[in-house]
This record gives sequence, structure tokens and C-alpha cells, in this order.
Amino acid sequence: MSSVTKLVSKVLILDNAVECIGPLKDFCDQNGLIGLSSHSNNILELLSSYVDLGGILIAEDYTESLQETAKLAYQIRSSRPELPIILRRVSNAGAEELPANIAQHFCATYTIEDLSPLHKFIDDYIFSLVYPNALIRGISEITLQSLASQFKQHTVTVNAPYVVRDRIIFGEVFSLIPLESNWCRGYMMLQTEESVLDVFIAGNDHDELQHIQTPFRVLNNLIGEVTNLIWGAFKNRYINEEINHSQHSTIQVPLVINHQHKYISFGTENPQLCFKYNLFDDKTGLYSSIYQWFIFNLYWSPEDFQEIQTSVDELIDSGELELF
Amino acid sequence: MAKILIVDDSSTVREQVGEFLKENGLDFITAIDGKDGLTKLQGDSSIKLILSDVNMPNMDGLTMVEKIRNDLGNTSVNIIMLTTESNPSMKERGKAAGVKGWIVKPFKGESVLATLKKLAE
Repeated sequence: MSSVTKLVSKVLILDNAVECIGPLKDFCDQNGLIGLSSHSNNILELLSSYVDLGGILIAEDYTESLQETAKLAYQIRSSRPELPIILRRVSNAGAEELPANIAQHFCATYTIEDLSPLHKFIDDYIFSLVYPNALIRGISEITLQSLASQFKQHTVTVNAPYVVRDRIIFGEVFSLIPLESNWCRGYMMLQTEESVLDVFIAGNDHDELQHIQTPFRVLNNLIGEVTNLIWGAFKNRYINEEINHSQHSTIQVPLVINHQHKYISFGTENPQLCFKYNLFDDKTGLYSSIYQWFIFNLYWSPEDFQEIQTSVDELIDSGELELF
Repeated sequence: MAKILIVDDSSTVREQVGEFLKENGLDFITAIDGKDGLTKLQGDSSIKLILSDVNMPNMDGLTMVEKIRNDLGNTSVNIIMLTTESNPSMKERGKAAGVKGWIVKPFKGESVLATLKKLAE
């Protein structure tokens, strides 16, 4: 098995204590967390701006009382139950000293003097799955190639990969395709906004698309084709033909999608591997992005992961014709 | 004039490949899956080359090829698979069914234009 890549994850920090900012920032830097702070008065509204969080760190004195903070945590959990919330106590009190009706809203507690519970928190809730380095590198490569084949005149870049626990769908369009092998079973999901079509049209000089009556269908087809290209390349690179039809290959769970709340559940609490790709049309300055999630909700066995070795003789570049 | 039949469930691919063929003076028609491909082939004797995807709903590309060769008894039309698939057993199945060549997507027309023109004659 190859080595593992150190992933990052975004956490929202709801903490007004100035003296805690330094230690929390250091902890985030050292542990692959990107701490996002906010002074918004409306946290629930603020949360709607973040659809790719790994968790929330909140201080018990973030509001005027512990009860109010617990109430806020309850509201957050009601709207985003997938996001684990950890409470910073102002004293050295443990979770057992919290009344049960308050403790139930938090997955753990810590104090600024003892950050060790935070280590357990990120191990248990955020970085609980290991992703092989070759897989992460390969996904970026094949997705960039697939996007470049469709967005030919554009600049396509990818951000550092990260993990999310969020279940909120980004944008207006998404595609899903199953991934099945001896070492994984789950889905790849691409999510984007309709504005990506403007970027596509601007860069490809598709004048005829400017006047099309149903541009969303063009976008659907475009996202479908990109998904297909990535899926094919993923399969060719990582999935052996002989899928082992053991017990894990027959399990299915329902996917639940709530359109109103743009929420999707894959029936698992597992964090998801996420990549964000940026598409620029240099001529017009138009920009859009595509989020790619990998949700191995049905089976995940990274120790069995392997890249398919292809001999040089068999290697045919994509787009080349191999005559028989 | 000889025609090329593009068989792909993705309208994006049909448009991209069709646009490329048109720009290079090649005539073409399209089909949305293997079943549609069979129908189009039977209805147009000027089709000399088929460019077909493998993974499609209703009827996949390799099943369509097998039906063209075995059920229709058409051994003259040239067939090239244009697909994301590159695994050897799939290619072997295509070869055995009478596929002439294999292109792994994405389609880069310039590099295969000369061969396409020759096969479409």
C-alpha cells in the first residue's frame, strides 16, 4: 500500500476569547485544519455560506450563557446534523459535569489548557478514513485531464484535497456515478453551478449556444460527459475487471435527497473526500468551480487499494487509435 | 457520399465528434444507443464507418457490434469503438466481434483523421 496524503479540513470556530485564538490557530496549523472564524450575529445564516465543513468548535461563553450556547448548538444540529460540534469549556470541567440535556448537543468538550480531546475529535470525526496517496494524486490528474478535454481554451486548476462531513449540495447541478471494486464501493459526485456553462460558452466560442432555449440541458450533458470521462479513467487506472462478488458487493443503502434543503444523505456518517476544481476563461475573466466528492459509503478497504500496472506495450494514449 | 454513424448516448460527444467530422468534410448521422445504431445502419446503406461508444443504455456498443456482424450479417461496415473503457478483455471482445479499432476518450480528432477518412471511403 502506498503512503497516505495529509488531508485538510475546514472547521468553523465560534469563539470570542482573544486569548484562545493563538492556541487554536496553532492547533489547526499543526493538525491539518483550516479554522474559519466569524463574528456574525446569525450563525445559521452564516452556515449557509459554508457547504464543505468538517466540524464546528464552539466556546461555552460564545453566547451570553451556556444554556444559550447549547440552544445554538441544538439549532445547528437541527439544520446540519452531520457536523460534529465540540465545546470549549471555560474551566477544567469535563463533559460529565454538563447537564445531560446540554451535553447531548456536543460530541466532546475541551479546554484551552488541554487540547488533547481535540486530537481525538479530529481522529474520530474528521480524519477517520485513510486515503492512499496514489489515489488522491491520480484523481486530481484524471479529473484535470477530463475537464481540460471539455474546457479546451480554459485554465483549469485544482485546490488541495480536503475532507468534509457536510451533506449540503453545492450549486444547482450534480451528477452521481457508482464506483465499485474490491477495495471500494460508493459514489463519485460532481457539483457545480449553472454559471459553469457561461464559462464553457465564453471559452469555446460556441455562438450557437448563446441563443439556445434550454441551456440547462447543455450543461446537464456536459457534466454527464465529464463524469463519464472521469469514471472511465478511474476504472482503467484503479479497478480490476474481476470484482470480487463477496458479501460487501451486494450491500446497498438508500440515498436520500432533500431538494428544499439541498441535502443529500448516503446513509453513512463517514467523512467524504473532496476536491475543488477552478475553471477560468482568461479572455472574459469568467470563473466557475466544480466540487468533486468521493463517498465510499458501502465499502472502504484502502489496504487492498492498488493501481493497475500497464505495460508500456499496452499503453495507448487517450485519443489515439489502436487498430486491430 | 459515404457516411459515418456516430453512436453515443452523450449528446456532448455526438456534437463534438459530429462538429469535427463536418469541419473536415465528412458526412455523418447519429444514434443515441446501440439499438438506435442498429436501426440507423439498416436504414442507410451509405454508412461505411461506425464510431461507437461502449457503455450505453438499452443496448451497449459491443452487443450492437455482435448483432451487426452476426444477426445482420454485415461484415463490410468498419467499426471503431470510441470509449472510456480500455481494459484488455473488453478490447478482446471487440476484436473478436469484428471491431476494427479502439479509441480511448477523450476524442482527439486530428490524430485519427486520416484513418477515419480511409475507413469511411
